[in-house]
Amino acid sequence: MIVGALEWLHDTPFSAMMRDSIWAEPIVETVHMLTLAVFLGFVLVLDLRLLDLTMRERRVSAMFQQLNPGLFGGFAVMLVTGLLLFSGDPVSFYSTWFFKAKMVMLLLAGLNVLLFNVTVGRRLAEWDGLPRTPWEAKAAGAASLVLWVCIVAAGRGIAYALPPP
Amino acid sequence: MHFMAQVLLAFCRWCDASFFGEAIRNSVWLFPFVEIFHLLALGLLGGTIILVNLSLLGVRFRGEPVSRLARDVQPLFNASLAVMLISGFLLFSTEALKMYGSPAFQFKMSCLALAILFTYTLHFRVARDAGTFSPGWRKVAAVTSLLLWVGVALGGRAIGYVNSTPPPGAGS
Repeated sequence: MIVGALEWLHDTPFSAMMRDSIWAEPIVETVHMLTLAVFLGFVLVLDLRLLDLTMRERRVSAMFQQLNPGLFGGFAVMLVTGLLLFSGDPVSFYSTWFFKAKMVMLLLAGLNVLLFNVTVGRRLAEWDGLPRTPWEAKAAGAASLVLWVCIVAAGRGIAYALPPP
Repeated sequence: MHFMAQVLLAFCRWCDASFFGEAIRNSVWLFPFVEIFHLLALGLLGGTIILVNLSLLGVRFRGEPVSRLARDVQPLFNASLAVMLISGFLLFSTEALKMYGSPAFQFKMSCLALAILFTYTLHFRVARDAGTFSPGWRKVAAVTSLLLWVGVALGGRAIGYVNSTPPPGAGS
């Protein structure tokens, strides 16, 4: 069923445009990579902060407050450009294990944020000013760090696993 | 040929023939493996530079001196730049002669040299003593920094798309 839907997407004029245009793919990929600096950069800084590895004298709440707009904006751009890249050749993307692994890990990264927000993140006010973050926050930071490193690796893997154009 | 060009050409030939250049070139997974480090460091380097520049522009971290933020992110910036330079050099060494004749690579290296020079001299100086510079000069420093680093990134992206001219006497 999924493959049927992807074949339908592949046959749309939009998908053909992404595939056949000389400029579409390089431009979208360049935006995807430039936005890494905002999105991945901010994620890594926040993960390192949760792990007490950087800016320990800053409140975690203040870090979230300053970085969240860039983080959400950056994620939106990553998502849109990622979907555009995918739509150019959806069947081939889906046929690689790197793509499936990347999607599963993106889901896990989202669940990690959700879990943080309903548990230790909800009690942020209690530990915000303490010299050390609680172990649950460190675990969330470590999980996020590992997941995003693997997501980047899987993303690079897709480029090598796809059949050459 | 100009003396400097000869030195660069000899250096590129040496890189091409080096054991690491050859090892990465002949391995299926080593090149993408090194690329992953290059991309991860790109995220952190870009992220820290953007934070300092947002502060200089007065968009984020408004309630505090820029110098505090600049001091806080400096270790992350230094570390990610080191990873960028090492991984970038390894990737370069797999096709150094091709890079020698690549206009995109030349553009990238020019931007990189200017970006590093600018960051460690004027940019950090403006960020450290932001109080002594007018908001106008702070914005000039931030925009210059962003343009130079975006130039490095775009030059890097262009390498795969712009043809390289073989150096004189390359034979192939």
